[in-house]
Amino acid sequence: MKLSVTKNEMLEKLANIQNIIEKKNTMPILSHFLLSAGKKGSYIIATDIETALKEPLEANIEKEGKLCIPARKLFEIVREVDGDISFESVDEQWLKVRAGASDFRIACLPHTDFPAWPSALGSGEVEEVTIDGSMLLEMIEKTIYSAGESDTRYTLNGLLFHAKPENRSFTVVGTDGHRLALIMRQMESEVKEDKKLIVPRKAVSELRRFLGASDEEKEKQKVRISIGDKHLLFSVEKIEFLTRLIDGSYPNYENVIPQSNEKKMSIGKDIFIKVLRRASVMSRERASAVRFDLEEEKLTVSSSSPDLGEAKEEVGVDYKGEKVSLGFNARYMLDVLGAMTSDKVVLELQDPLSPVLVKEDGSDEYKCVIMPMRI
Amino acid sequence: MSKIILCIDMDAFFASVEQQSNPKLRGKPVAVIGSGKRTVITTRSYEARKYGVKTGMNVHETKKLCPHIIFVVGNNEKYTHTCREMQKIYLQFTPDVEVYSIDEAFLDITTTHHLFGGPEAIGHSIKAQIKTQFGITCTVGIAPNILMAKLASDIAKPDGLRWIKPEDIESLLKHLPLKELWGIGSGLTEKLEALGIRTCGQLGRAPASLLRNKFGVIGEHLKAMGKGLCNRPLYVREEDPKSIGHSMTFPKDLSQRRDIEAEILKLSEMIGRRARRYGFIGRKVSLTVRYPDFETFSKQTTLPDYTNHTHEIYKNAISILESIRLKNSVRLLGVSLSNLIKDCNQMLLFEEKRREKALLQAVDAVNDKYGDFKLIWASYLKQTEPPRVISPAWKPSGIRNINVRK
Repeated sequence: MKLSVTKNEMLEKLANIQNIIEKKNTMPILSHFLLSAGKKGSYIIATDIETALKEPLEANIEKEGKLCIPARKLFEIVREVDGDISFESVDEQWLKVRAGASDFRIACLPHTDFPAWPSALGSGEVEEVTIDGSMLLEMIEKTIYSAGESDTRYTLNGLLFHAKPENRSFTVVGTDGHRLALIMRQMESEVKEDKKLIVPRKAVSELRRFLGASDEEKEKQKVRISIGDKHLLFSVEKIEFLTRLIDGSYPNYENVIPQSNEKKMSIGKDIFIKVLRRASVMSRERASAVRFDLEEEKLTVSSSSPDLGEAKEEVGVDYKGEKVSLGFNARYMLDVLGAMTSDKVVLELQDPLSPVLVKEDGSDEYKCVIMPMRI
Repeated sequence: MSKIILCIDMDAFFASVEQQSNPKLRGKPVAVIGSGKRTVITTRSYEARKYGVKTGMNVHETKKLCPHIIFVVGNNEKYTHTCREMQKIYLQFTPDVEVYSIDEAFLDITTTHHLFGGPEAIGHSIKAQIKTQFGITCTVGIAPNILMAKLASDIAKPDGLRWIKPEDIESLLKHLPLKELWGIGSGLTEKLEALGIRTCGQLGRAPASLLRNKFGVIGEHLKAMGKGLCNRPLYVREEDPKSIGHSMTFPKDLSQRRDIEAEILKLSEMIGRRARRYGFIGRKVSLTVRYPDFETFSKQTTLPDYTNHTHEIYKNAISILESIRLKNSVRLLGVSLSNLIKDCNQMLLFEEKRREKALLQAVDAVNDKYGDFKLIWASYLKQTEPPRVISPAWKPSGIRNINVRK
């Protein structure tokens, strides 16, 4: 194998895989990536068994070949050198790296050691849906914060992708058992039957990297999702991102979304964020408990901690109804507000012990449910 | 103005209570022991002390020293009741009372002693009331801080009263051996002696840099102790606990896996229940194992989320057990939950979890009404009784107020 590549191209492609490669030294091969140099096209594959990424590499190929290269070490080298870089393999054991006057030799592993890319997505029929890249990114950003991080109920440590055949709706849901975020959009393609897929949080988080709407081109970028029995494959242009699905049943999210909360309050998002941040300074410990006292046209947000002291702030709101008081984890409310894009937000509540629905003003597609705290 | 702190230290508390409730025991060497087969002496009467009987000795060792000693199985309820009643006496004189342990208390009488005729008058009055009400004696130490107050009561024991005034401290500490000072154990004494420090006076004069190098942050604190200074305030309010734990020595070493697991479940339930009662959740579980040769070790695991659920505690303690290869049978097991925070009453979104929580509350309610372990997991059936030896750290209020059994 012999090839040359620009520093920028190599750096970008290596940066993309750094989160995927295994940092713990449990399986040495997983700290390597597979470089496949071919005259018709070259690519890089990295995997941590849960997820795998395959991305094209723009390179001048002199001699075709494949090799497993330590990802972290090569990344460090590429970061430091200047100008174009040439690679040459020696006996499937070594990689000679040359850039300008610098020479490196890295110990490598033979390509046959690398885990095979699953060619078929399980035994069943593979369905495909296509959605807008920037739309998928938005859906992920608006739900990922509410997914569990390391919940013992492992199905909550992922986002639910729910595709329905009847109205071509595509829904993404995240919940940690205390709060839930749900966003629904339309797909261009159809699925034959209801599909409920639980995608690991880490995989979704990595996926965001390839959906960035940073330039015009990516704005119109399409993502093809191939649905297998145990895996999902996301294809964005020539990049392929594969993830294992979390096996298990996701809680019935539709049941916990309040349908008939009568008390509706609306408030400017930015002022609401400021008020909550100020009040939570004085709330105790990690729980960030704040108290809401809501009455006609006025919301009082307060917090207190026996060892610290108190905070209290009044803010004008659109609300006509009887008085109600309830407690919240300010963190949960702030997470939701941080993800919302409208100027105003709407809170729909019932009583101090019932779930509260938070929505963007004028839209029903994005819904967040927060359970109150007992006060 | 320096403070005036009173230390009330009961004389041979458990033994005195037993001698008081059973006249036949009075004036005789008595040792209070636990109920199990492998119990040790928790308290011995002053009569028994003459024979060299010490706390922590087992029955066999004790009999060798004092063949006619009378063993009494401790009645924890008597002690906790007495402790609670004595607290009422202390509160007549000042609101700032720290019940330090079941038989020691500190009172800050700085601002109230003039109302009762001075510190000594309060001391005598407390001694008299305890004697009248319970028929037992205590020793009162009076000093500007708790360290000196404790020393005063140690010096004046038994049935004494001693006031160490600020001006007396220096001469008193000058030749006092280190181990007489509260908080300096044998390990620390050895290390200090290696530095040529044998008396409190020497400790107080030792260069701060030397102590800091050897002992780190506590170095300066040690120097202050040598001078008879101590700025620890009284904890009159119950502090949030750092951990909740229980351990048990078994009447017979456990070798069967099933028995070990059942005991861990029992300990987990005791902890979970206590955490739930006081509204704490924790995310670190540790397991302590002691082999018959007294080799003891602990391992801990950090949980993904905070919990006070018996089963979560149990599951994690078991996973620790699975990670170790027991090389012998087990003499003692301990489980604890730490990294605690107040349960913030966050309500749950999903019915299933709400029901799980409601079930635990219902189980707790049944056990509150009918007694501990009345409603239990099936795998816990046919197990030995929970431990009956009361921890000296028992307190009349807060999370250390462990229900004792009749």
